[in-house]
Amino acid sequence: MRIIPKRIEKVKFGLLSPDYIRKIAESKIITADTYDEDGYPIEGGLMDPKLGVVDPGLKCKTCGGRVGECPGHFGRIELSRPVIHVGYAKAINKILRAICRKCGRLLLPPDKIEEYRKNIRKYRKVGRNEDPIVEDLLKNAKMTKRCYYCDEEQEEIKFDKPTTFIEGKNRLSPTDVRERLERITDEDAEVMGFDLEVARPEWMVLTVLPVPPVTVRPSITLESGERSEDDLTHKLVDILRINQRLMENIEAGAPQLIIEDLWELLQYHITTYFNNEVAGVPPARHRSGRPLKTLTQRLKGKEGRFRSNLSGKRVNFSARTVISPDPNISINEVGVPELVARELTIPVRVTPQNIEYVKKLVKNGSRIYPGANYVERPDGSRVSLNIKRTEEIIEKIEPGWIVHRHLQDGDIVLFNRQPSLHRMSIMAHEVRVMPYKTFRLNLCVCPPYNADFDGDEMNLHAIQGEEARAEARVLMRVQEQILSPRFGGPIIGGIHDYISGAYLMTRPGVRFTREEAHQLLYAAGITEELPDPIVENGAEFYTGLQLFSLLLPKDINLTYRAKICKKHEVCKKEDCPYGAYVVIRNGEILSGVLDEKSFGAFAGELLDRIVKDYGTDAAREFLDKATKLAINGITKIGFSTGIDDEDLTTEARERIEEILDNAEKKVEELIEAYNEGILEQLPGRTLEETLEMRIMQTLSEARDKTGNIANEYLEKSSEELGRENSARIMAISGARGSLLNLTQMAACIGQQAVRGERIMRGYVGRTLPHFKRGDKGARAKGFVRSSYKKGLDPLEYFFHSMGGREGLVDTAVRTSQSGYMQRRLINALQDLKVEYDNTVRDTRGIIVEFAHGEDGADPSRTDWGKVVNVSKIIHSIVDQRESENVS
Amino acid sequence: MIDTKPVMRAFLKKRELVRQHIDSFNDFVENRLQQIVDETKEIETDVGVTVRFGKIEVEKAEVIEADGARNRIKPFEARLRNLSYFSPIYLEMTPIKDDQEGETERVKIGMLPTMIKSKICNLYGLTREELIEAGEDPLDPGGYFIVNGSERALVTIEDLAPNKIMLERTEKYNRITEVAKVFSKRGGFRALVTVERDKEGMIGVSFPSVPGNIPFVILMRALGVETDQGIVNTISDDPEIIQTILENLEEFLEVKSSADAMEIIGKKVAAGQTRDYRLKRAEQVIDRYLLPHIGVEPEDRIRKAYYLGRMVLRVLELALGRREPDDKDHYANKRLRLAGDLMEDLFRVAFYNLTRDIKYQLERAVVRGKEPSVQTAVRADVLTERIRHALATGNWVGGRAGVSQLLDRTNYISVLSHLRRAVSPLSRSQPHFEARDLHPTQWGKICPSETPEGPNCGLVKNLALACEFSTGYDETLLLPKLYELGVKKIQKTG
Repeated sequence: MRIIPKRIEKVKFGLLSPDYIRKIAESKIITADTYDEDGYPIEGGLMDPKLGVVDPGLKCKTCGGRVGECPGHFGRIELSRPVIHVGYAKAINKILRAICRKCGRLLLPPDKIEEYRKNIRKYRKVGRNEDPIVEDLLKNAKMTKRCYYCDEEQEEIKFDKPTTFIEGKNRLSPTDVRERLERITDEDAEVMGFDLEVARPEWMVLTVLPVPPVTVRPSITLESGERSEDDLTHKLVDILRINQRLMENIEAGAPQLIIEDLWELLQYHITTYFNNEVAGVPPARHRSGRPLKTLTQRLKGKEGRFRSNLSGKRVNFSARTVISPDPNISINEVGVPELVARELTIPVRVTPQNIEYVKKLVKNGSRIYPGANYVERPDGSRVSLNIKRTEEIIEKIEPGWIVHRHLQDGDIVLFNRQPSLHRMSIMAHEVRVMPYKTFRLNLCVCPPYNADFDGDEMNLHAIQGEEARAEARVLMRVQEQILSPRFGGPIIGGIHDYISGAYLMTRPGVRFTREEAHQLLYAAGITEELPDPIVENGAEFYTGLQLFSLLLPKDINLTYRAKICKKHEVCKKEDCPYGAYVVIRNGEILSGVLDEKSFGAFAGELLDRIVKDYGTDAAREFLDKATKLAINGITKIGFSTGIDDEDLTTEARERIEEILDNAEKKVEELIEAYNEGILEQLPGRTLEETLEMRIMQTLSEARDKTGNIANEYLEKSSEELGRENSARIMAISGARGSLLNLTQMAACIGQQAVRGERIMRGYVGRTLPHFKRGDKGARAKGFVRSSYKKGLDPLEYFFHSMGGREGLVDTAVRTSQSGYMQRRLINALQDLKVEYDNTVRDTRGIIVEFAHGEDGADPSRTDWGKVVNVSKIIHSIVDQRESENVS
Repeated sequence: MIDTKPVMRAFLKKRELVRQHIDSFNDFVENRLQQIVDETKEIETDVGVTVRFGKIEVEKAEVIEADGARNRIKPFEARLRNLSYFSPIYLEMTPIKDDQEGETERVKIGMLPTMIKSKICNLYGLTREELIEAGEDPLDPGGYFIVNGSERALVTIEDLAPNKIMLERTEKYNRITEVAKVFSKRGGFRALVTVERDKEGMIGVSFPSVPGNIPFVILMRALGVETDQGIVNTISDDPEIIQTILENLEEFLEVKSSADAMEIIGKKVAAGQTRDYRLKRAEQVIDRYLLPHIGVEPEDRIRKAYYLGRMVLRVLELALGRREPDDKDHYANKRLRLAGDLMEDLFRVAFYNLTRDIKYQLERAVVRGKEPSVQTAVRADVLTERIRHALATGNWVGGRAGVSQLLDRTNYISVLSHLRRAVSPLSRSQPHFEARDLHPTQWGKICPSETPEGPNCGLVKNLALACEFSTGYDETLLLPKLYELGVKKIQKTG
């Protein structure tokens, strides 16, 4: 069977008319029984063979198809009395109020109707939604007390949820409702928002109920041979039973009361058939007491058809396992365990060119590694290679067959870590088959995936088609994602030891002998020729800058301030004693140090320039080599941190204590000023708020001051000892931790806060019974004076726990909330797209934005969000001049 | 610095880490079981036979073998053989037929789960060597149950304190209203009574089985405080507060007597019924569902009126800004429900089921023309299975799930931690930031560090190391003392 490709232009939703239901129904269902004594489905029953097949081996009585071929066919139940469809009850209510109870005309004067009609046409023409007009029309019509056409007095209609309508004192039966809806003219229906091609008002009241095919509600046979029916079938049985009884009673001329009761019951069953969670209706239950899962329940919610079967699907050719780091593979590679490689396959079409190779793979079969799991004949039939008789299959293989071979080195696969919050959460990697059982990844790709190795697992998908493979290779490869569309800088880059390694190697005064330099370069896989060594006092040596310069493109020029820059008022530029001013001329780093700003994730200026000017492949190579060089450098130099990194001299400790004493005193003064009423009130704040703000400010300033002192002393002591403080190196180079962390460890932890305030709750007038009532002092409200190194006293520990608890709660609550927000954003934005004319449009072609982001810029191609970076242009020209002058 | 270690060591020697559960369970077995039985007193059947209950006794844990032999097994055997470590319960029953008291019989009414190391456990009082001899870990803390061979711990439930007035300021439909709430608890019955002041200053009272609010003035009249002066007296003599009450009084000038008020309440609680029934129902509702912790007899009404007056006073003080709303997370407003309390809830329901079954069996026997016998009418399994099922699945009475959990035996510490866990019944899906915070009043009671990460953060708590439990005091012993000291009794005055 050839499939003719067709393009779906649009989808139109409408109501099923009774005629249409009868037309599509292959069978009229009349009996509530499903199977006869022999276990065969009864004709005219709910399992009527005309409705399709679910049992293997049987043929469909309608289309002759077998299981899998026959899609199933609808049946119908002729309802003895009309019944309101719950889903439309609200719409029916609105319409009933807007039409005349006698003649069924819309309760508005003709000219008004004409006006609405015009408006609706106008809206439709420009593609605007006409619902607001219809709403307005119905609202206005509701107000009318007397019909304009037949002069009938209108009565108030009450809608008793979910399906009852009461007019004045009389209950309107569904038959009455239907009759009224029938009386609506086509013209009136149109202005009420009906598309007459697919809907008429009275179709909202059911007279015929479509019975879904058995394939929709298959019955399952338990091991005991007992049949268990689907919930929908159970519900349909109920409907049929009541329908039958109602019919019999009507025919027998039973009293009105009994008929109404049965009618009501039929309404209940049909209501719950559509939706078993209608407010005000007790849910229909299974014999075990479990509520039935009816039509609405099948669609709704996380486990519903939409979210779990249409928006999300389960896939084959995928693998999941724990991840672990491997600094020796490239950033665009992924280490795949052989175990996984043997399971995942890639289809390869056999050609005269590859037939020998393919035969070798088939010979290996599914158990020996570079093998194949099955072969596919041109007719689509598959043969598994999980057996020993591969020889005969090899004989048969010829061009045109498809061999599903194992994953091999160099294959492109998709690699993903949940939650997939941005596009860099799924990237294409090249396979590297490796021993052991974890996926291996380069540490530079941790930031985009937000991965660490404390037990994280990731998913891998083997690409099956050539188009997909090509697309993945061009668009999704790791190096194509170095620049983040979030901020226009590199999101992939060095972390932790890579940064401190580069910093240690390139610091002023660090020297390598020729042997050391060769070792480092060899370990990093750099084959470039060593430049001329620097000669000092007759000794030859190399600097780290020289080694890193080997990795740079030969014509790169760049000037930037490193992360360690202290932002002095007067910048000494090239002569910065800390090396914070990085100058690169003609591919040579003339001055400065390499730190987070060089090739760190989120910050790397140098890396950023290489990607933007020399391409993604060059950047990948640079990153691979630079990280290897840095890691070998730090291994050679040696690096460790310990608690003595937070040691301070007695003098420093005294100064810190003094600052804290002063701060606490100042807080006391503020409180006193407040008590005396001389505290100056800040604009827009109450006196209490002012006091709180001032106290918070005072204490945070004090904490910062102690931090500065600690930092100062740490710096000084490392100079004196000739050994830099490791914790501080990490903080200033941007490898890990911050100066705040250092402050808290060495000097003072500072104010603990809950929801942005000092700790206020607790006993009456005080936080803890250890304080006097009304004590507003620093310590009584959660100021922690101690450092982590010194240790906290019990009170401080408790306040710290309070602050810590808030953090824990926040992370727990936020993850669920942000997931929900993400879902809503995706739903709102999913089909917006930038067209070739640079406009952003939705699927209807309606323009959302004339230029993407109002500037038409792709943020990943911008300089940290700026479309044109003027200073960069100026710099590049100046730099170029300078380098010309040099040469 | 004083070395506190010896103190701590001595403390823990006296008060083992799961003492609270064991003490609570012992109290349940020794006192509260009898109380529950006394609440029911007797079963009246429709066939003229009444069964009066006497003393309830629980023997030590045993198992009934297939051959009918009764063995006092040790817990380890229950664990190994997948048995339930339960103790038999005996109840004295006296059949009364046509006012003729029959012979008192001691009937086994079921099996009670035995808490390891409680007084009805076969390990009670054993020394270290004896424990080892019995095949037990001498360091095992006990405090859990064994059901079908699996160890089940009852997790302490943290609840808002019952019978305590809590002031709240709530926003309803953009209007701020002041509310005083009381979870009035009597036996197993909990009734939420609220006193609410709306924006116009009208005070309404709501309590179970009454739809909507009843105006405060009407309720006071119904409770027997008929004069305006009397109503004011129950509240305050502060002029500002009296002002609001006067406004309330003016609204219902036509309601003059208790009878008038009952009429109005009757219309509310039993609309569309006959007048006699309405009045009867109104009285019943007031006695049974309004502040049941004060009493359920007509003579308790006056005390209820004064209690309501107190609630109103607080609401008005809150409205006038003289008071602040109560902090719900303050630990003084929390009560921890231990194993004994939980077993009490369960046993009460199970016992009620049993009495109904006994009644049914007796009636059936009589209808069939047999001589009614207490021995045969009691089907012990009714009680046992109800309790066993709840304990095995964790589905407690009142629809609470996860009350009993499989004891965490990952290691010794996890066992101790599990038995000292307290769970808040708040839903984990809502943020509830305040409830999750570490509250300063938890100092010394709840561990500041141990709480799970994730959705249960701050809702699941663990007891602090030196946390001790106080279990309340019998007020019937306290009241005479207070009267002795000169406290005036609330009495109906003319």
